[in-house]
Amino acid sequence: MIHLSINGQSVEAQEGQTILDVATANKIGIPTLCHFNQLHAVGSCRICSVEVAGAKGLMAACVTPVVEGMVVLTHSAKVRQMRKILYELMLSDHPADCLHCDRNGRCEFQDLGEVLQIKESRFVGKRSKNAMDDSSPAIIRDTTKCILCRRCVSMCNEVQGVGALNAQNRGFATEIGPGGRERLGTAVCTYCGQCTTVCPVDALHEKDSITAVWQALSDPARKTIVQTAPAVRAALGEEFGLAPGTLVTGKMASALRQLGFQVVFDTNFTADLTILEEGYELLARLAALAKKQGQIDDRQLAALNLPHHLPDPVLPMITSCSPGWIKYAEHFHGDLLAHLSTCQSPHMMLGALAKTWYAQSNGLDPTELSVVSVMPCTAKKFEITRPELKTRGLATVDAVLTTRELARMIREAGIDFANLPDSPFDSPMGESTGAAAIFGTTGGVMEAALRTVYEVVTSRPLPFENLHIQPIVGLDRIKTASIRFENVLPAWSFLEGIEVPIAVTSGLSGARQLMDEIEAGTSPYVFIEVMGCPGGCLSGGGQPRPSTPEIRQLRLQAIYREDEGKPLRKSHDNPDIRKLYEVFLGQPGSQLAHELLHTTYQRRNKI
Amino acid sequence: MSEQSANLIRSAGDLAHIRNAFFTRQDQYSQTILICSGAGCISCGSQSIHETLVDELEKAGIRENILVKMTGCMGICDAGPAMIVQPGNVFYCKLTAEAIHEIVQSHLLKGQVAEQFCSVDRRTGKRIVRLDDLDYFSRQLKIVLANCGKIDYGQLDEYIAHDGITALYKVLHEMTPEQVIETVRLSGLRGRGGGGFPTGMKWALGRKTTSEQKYIICNADEGDPGAFMDRSLLEGDPYVLLEGLAIGGYAIGASKGYIYIRAEYPLAIERLDHAISELREVGLLGEHLFNTDFSFDVEIRIGAGAFVCGEETALMNSVQGQRGEPRQKPPFPTEKGLFGKPTVINNVETLGNIPAIIRNGSDWFSGIGTEKSKGTKVFALAGDVKNTGIVEVPMGISLGDILFDIGGGIPNGKKFKAAQTGGPSGGCLTKAHLNTPIDYQSLVELGAIMGSGGLICMDEDTCMVDVARFFMDFVQDESCGKCVACRIGTRRMLDILERITQGQGQAGDVERLIELGETVKATALCGLGQTAPNPVLSTIKYFRDEYDEHIRDKYCRAGVCSSLFLAPCSNACPAGVNVPGYIALIAAGRPKEAYDLIMQENPFPSVCGRVCTHPCESRCRRAQVDEPLAIRDLKRYAADEAFKNETPKVDLIFPRKGRTVSIIGGGPSGLTCGYYLGRLGYTVVIYESQPEAGGMLAYGIPEYRLPRKMLAKEIEAIRRVGIQIRTGVEVGKAIDFKTIRDQSDAVYIATGTQRSRKIGLSGENLPNVYHGLDFLRDINLGRPVAVHGVVAVIGGGSTAFDAARTALRLGASEVHVLYRRCMSDMPADPREICEAVEEGVMIHELVEPLAMIGNQKVEQVVCQQMKLQGFDAEGRRQPVAISGPRIEFSVDLVIPAVSQYSDLPFVRPDEIEMTSLGTFVIKGNTFETTLPGVFAGGDVVRGSDVVIAAIADGKKAAQAIDQYLGGNGVLNKGEPIDIPAAEDDDELLEHGRFAMKYMDPKVRKQSFTEVAQGFHKLDAIAEAMRCLRCDRR
Repeated sequence: MIHLSINGQSVEAQEGQTILDVATANKIGIPTLCHFNQLHAVGSCRICSVEVAGAKGLMAACVTPVVEGMVVLTHSAKVRQMRKILYELMLSDHPADCLHCDRNGRCEFQDLGEVLQIKESRFVGKRSKNAMDDSSPAIIRDTTKCILCRRCVSMCNEVQGVGALNAQNRGFATEIGPGGRERLGTAVCTYCGQCTTVCPVDALHEKDSITAVWQALSDPARKTIVQTAPAVRAALGEEFGLAPGTLVTGKMASALRQLGFQVVFDTNFTADLTILEEGYELLARLAALAKKQGQIDDRQLAALNLPHHLPDPVLPMITSCSPGWIKYAEHFHGDLLAHLSTCQSPHMMLGALAKTWYAQSNGLDPTELSVVSVMPCTAKKFEITRPELKTRGLATVDAVLTTRELARMIREAGIDFANLPDSPFDSPMGESTGAAAIFGTTGGVMEAALRTVYEVVTSRPLPFENLHIQPIVGLDRIKTASIRFENVLPAWSFLEGIEVPIAVTSGLSGARQLMDEIEAGTSPYVFIEVMGCPGGCLSGGGQPRPSTPEIRQLRLQAIYREDEGKPLRKSHDNPDIRKLYEVFLGQPGSQLAHELLHTTYQRRNKI
Repeated sequence: MSEQSANLIRSAGDLAHIRNAFFTRQDQYSQTILICSGAGCISCGSQSIHETLVDELEKAGIRENILVKMTGCMGICDAGPAMIVQPGNVFYCKLTAEAIHEIVQSHLLKGQVAEQFCSVDRRTGKRIVRLDDLDYFSRQLKIVLANCGKIDYGQLDEYIAHDGITALYKVLHEMTPEQVIETVRLSGLRGRGGGGFPTGMKWALGRKTTSEQKYIICNADEGDPGAFMDRSLLEGDPYVLLEGLAIGGYAIGASKGYIYIRAEYPLAIERLDHAISELREVGLLGEHLFNTDFSFDVEIRIGAGAFVCGEETALMNSVQGQRGEPRQKPPFPTEKGLFGKPTVINNVETLGNIPAIIRNGSDWFSGIGTEKSKGTKVFALAGDVKNTGIVEVPMGISLGDILFDIGGGIPNGKKFKAAQTGGPSGGCLTKAHLNTPIDYQSLVELGAIMGSGGLICMDEDTCMVDVARFFMDFVQDESCGKCVACRIGTRRMLDILERITQGQGQAGDVERLIELGETVKATALCGLGQTAPNPVLSTIKYFRDEYDEHIRDKYCRAGVCSSLFLAPCSNACPAGVNVPGYIALIAAGRPKEAYDLIMQENPFPSVCGRVCTHPCESRCRRAQVDEPLAIRDLKRYAADEAFKNETPKVDLIFPRKGRTVSIIGGGPSGLTCGYYLGRLGYTVVIYESQPEAGGMLAYGIPEYRLPRKMLAKEIEAIRRVGIQIRTGVEVGKAIDFKTIRDQSDAVYIATGTQRSRKIGLSGENLPNVYHGLDFLRDINLGRPVAVHGVVAVIGGGSTAFDAARTALRLGASEVHVLYRRCMSDMPADPREICEAVEEGVMIHELVEPLAMIGNQKVEQVVCQQMKLQGFDAEGRRQPVAISGPRIEFSVDLVIPAVSQYSDLPFVRPDEIEMTSLGTFVIKGNTFETTLPGVFAGGDVVRGSDVVIAAIADGKKAAQAIDQYLGGNGVLNKGEPIDIPAAEDDDELLEHGRFAMKYMDPKVRKQSFTEVAQGFHKLDAIAEAMRCLRCDRR
């Protein structure tokens, strides 16, 4: 136990705590800017400087460990004066264009100015940076607004392990960005957008799709279809002052109708579809392996009623619904792409069905349809531009809005979101099960897939309480479990007693670890779920800011609540999915399913 | 394998064996030649000197008898290429192939030292043969650099022969790590990299932390601009560093050392690399050194030369292969350092001290230096000092001793202004600090720091605002960009400094700089940022005036900030005369217009062309090519041409305003003020107590320097603008001050200093003691003054020399000038001194009169011998008496001429505020005294000063008076004059000054005829054409 004094108040602290930790715990406010909860403490903005008796200068509270007997002043005249000067210095290198900045009113730098009572900026001079990087389809990097807090650098390097953003140059010319003359569009950036969730200003943000969506909505010649990802409903409310973890599924559907969308579908529907496609793909890979190893013959194989085209028996198979993760794998693990499931992500599947099955069955011209996805994700903006993901020559999805962008549209339209009545999704792609709901969290796809796979193989539900595979629930970086197939159906006898080790990770540095194991030949796993963002889609790059560990936990709980509140909890139980196979796709992995719902990958530059 | 193990050094016996073998080999040679191979000497050709030498030795057939070695830097870098011949310690410098030939033929073959290639004592002009007799070396004390320049940098044997490696052996066999640390602690050694943290304490912290793996790093990332101490040691004696590093490793328990060195030091890296391989080969690096449990190896890491990588935490990042960025301390490297392990980081020089401390003991080391700063410090002496290079001095030596004794003082007769220590993190010291002992405390107290050893001397031509700008430009460029304080703070400080130096300074800028500087110091993340404002804060502290002048007056007194002036010469002129303009007019054959152009700023071209102290010439950039232009002589030429036929015309006098300004004193200042006020249309009345106007020009300067006829013409030209000069009217007697004030709208007092100050010696009241000003005035008034026999003049100023030369002309048989300092310290113009000596005046330096003795009249001046020691507040060497016999001069006349003062009987002290020196107190820059409407300028305000300063005051006072009377303060300078455009010269031909004609000394001392005879037209034009036209932009 360490004893110290802050502003004359005696307080206690633990070894290893910083002055900021201790002050916060004792309800003593110290303004910060670059500091970001557990992610980032480097002391670069110096705003949290405090006076420590005996120290030569001021100390940055966020990186100064407390020691016994320390005497700290957090708002002495000297501290306040110097904080103001530091702020004025930052302001002197920042465009004062708050009124037409996307972060107006939601900017940490702007808020700090109010806290510090800044009345002027006396230090005028040249600006250091002027590069606007709009080279990527997903993320805008506006260096003029960057205050070099380096949260994005910590996020991109330490959490995501991508390394697309780093400090470049020196002194006043220091800039955060890709090395060399690269821009985001050509660098190894995965477009996960985690940087945009931690940026305190408008230096990193998603590329705008609002304009295009408004345009489609106001075009009488177009029919607008919108779909919403599972994680959006667990976070959108935060943008309107609702408590984190509030589920706003029904209000969201109502708001989308008020915005003018003619059809409101749910990506959860195609999440269920994904489970069937991906579940059968896994089974097919296992069967192919059994065949290769001579455990079953052609006849036995045919009896399994598996996809028309048997995949290579490459294991572990890895999920493919996170486009940030896919791009990451293409950059850094180009030799291991065969491990990726060939399934498209759920919203692309919905787009593909909308422009084919839905259009056909409703007598619509698919070229007159605009499909808009509301996603917790920035990488989805890139995903829809991938040429191999076109549907019969048409864009599968026409625009992707992030959760934050949708909130902006709702505000612009003057919709009183918090008081909206609930409304349901439209049919036929509105119905979903609990399995689809948990797509929004890390471990969800794995659990959903196993709920189906286990039942296909054994005809019994997954033998876990409430169907949850507890070891893979939660926000840990890498989670593992093992499922044992027992008392399988006779057709699947080659799986009897087989132990299936699985791993779940979210955040790309965890993915790197698992991929390195595969590369080294030491991976024990059969099936791996990877989500590009830490915690999964619930804290995706397009979700409301901030996305702290506490807020993630609340969103996670909301998502499991949604699951448990559903009458149907397993994807294969979704009656509309069954009907879809009956009337249109045939069976999982059919030729048509492959044409519309599966994809291919390509190797990309490593640096 | 067996051969390798035979080479291994495993015992004290092995070391002794190597030592003996080395000296046996050495004894086979009759002479040894050491050639300096420091980077400086290599760059000026020491390698080809080496080849030539070997060639010549072979030709002479003595190659076998003479050992030739390449050594590290000898320290005196501007003397390179250099070499030493042993025995005899004969130092040859600035070597050429011819010199080598001569030296071989004379010294090596015949045993006669070739003195013509030895260095010259700048004071005596004599050759100095032995290295240790050079002032540069005699005041130094070499511990760290003991081997530098003495041994071959690439021969381990020789290092061992000079006691090398014995310290390492000693610690491994006789001392515990704790004992090593205690010895270092007791020695008082502090970090030489700049921080000054006690080395023993740092090692103790490193030892205390427990860890399987620890590291010791040598910081060789020497980044201060102009500093190269570490490089010298690395190149000259890499072994001592490696030995120190191994001892440090043993002390803290590290088995691995890193040397972090900048890529810009390829030679150092090469030599260090060689030394490491040598040590590895003999087992002095690697496993089980000297068969003990201690294993230690070293790796070189090359940094890309970022200044910030000198900061410990940034350095460690860089060693780890990351971006060289610092992090906040704590945790300190001794807790969590390289790769997260406990790490001690020491600077090159610190480690270089260690072997000597171990060998000689802590008492020996702590006996050197001051109470809290022990041992020596190596400095890289650079800038405006005669001898530049590397010096190692005991702590506590004074700054002045380093700069003047070792450094040889300021070149080109310029004055010392400041010394910067600690580079971009340091601060400056001024002439008031020359007696300051160099140690950690005193430097910090003065706002500077010891730093790593950069010591830059700056002369009067240095602009301190520009110096601050330079360092700020450097650091803001070198900032890593991580923290706001440093990244933006230093940039904004630079912005302000750039504005100020470009003439766009605003009121409040200095306060803003201080506020920003204090904030950056207190809040920056690392040492670089925390010290970055030091040069700015320190120059503000000591040179605030210069900042204010830049901001308020848009004036750079050093003539550096070129946006603020036309050309350095006109900037140096107190009156701001357009020098390049009139020189161009002379070159174009238009001397009358040249005269008119001068008149725009100074109504005394003819006078100033003869007697001005010409500060312009000392700033003339032509001096960098050959010699400065003879600006004063050209001015005289223009005036002579203008006066050839008639008094020049006066144009454009403004209509009368009907307002009266009275001027008391008809000297240069009063006349100038009257001239410009008259042109503006004021009614001007000048009151002059003497029968003629001109003041000091008429009564203080002898005819042979300034003919009265010329002065009269110039005063007539001034009078013709329509002003009244009432001579023979003494204010206070003929008319009282109050009446003048009642009759005038404003009054300007410019009565100068007319009284000689007494020296205060006994016998000063004896007959035939004639004070300088009285003497000159009486002669100029035509009063009878009897001069014969031996005359002694006391003083070294202009008045003293005027009196001396006048006495000579009046029939003195001998004239002696007695001066208590050196000739180079005399305030008189060097040309006057030179002319006086030509005429036979005898000058005695370093004598101070104590008394004048005589019965009826003065018969003897008794003096004592002085020497120069220490420095006064003005930065001049202090004369102090040395004991010894008195010096007696038998004399017939003594003329004391030491200083002058004002006498203002017409002003009541309660009326106008005066200083203790009897000069007027002036409000700010307005020239207005504390009595409203009464202005003053010239010597009556500044004390005794030069003519051009009085003229400049008169002009500025005219502006101030015009403003006071409701005008806009813009003077009427007449019609603009078209100045010939500068032409682009293809090539600049070197050519010294074109000479003016002078009378023969033997003839001229017989009469009062003017000594200088003026320029021939063609010479004048040729001289004018030497102008580089610095005004061209």
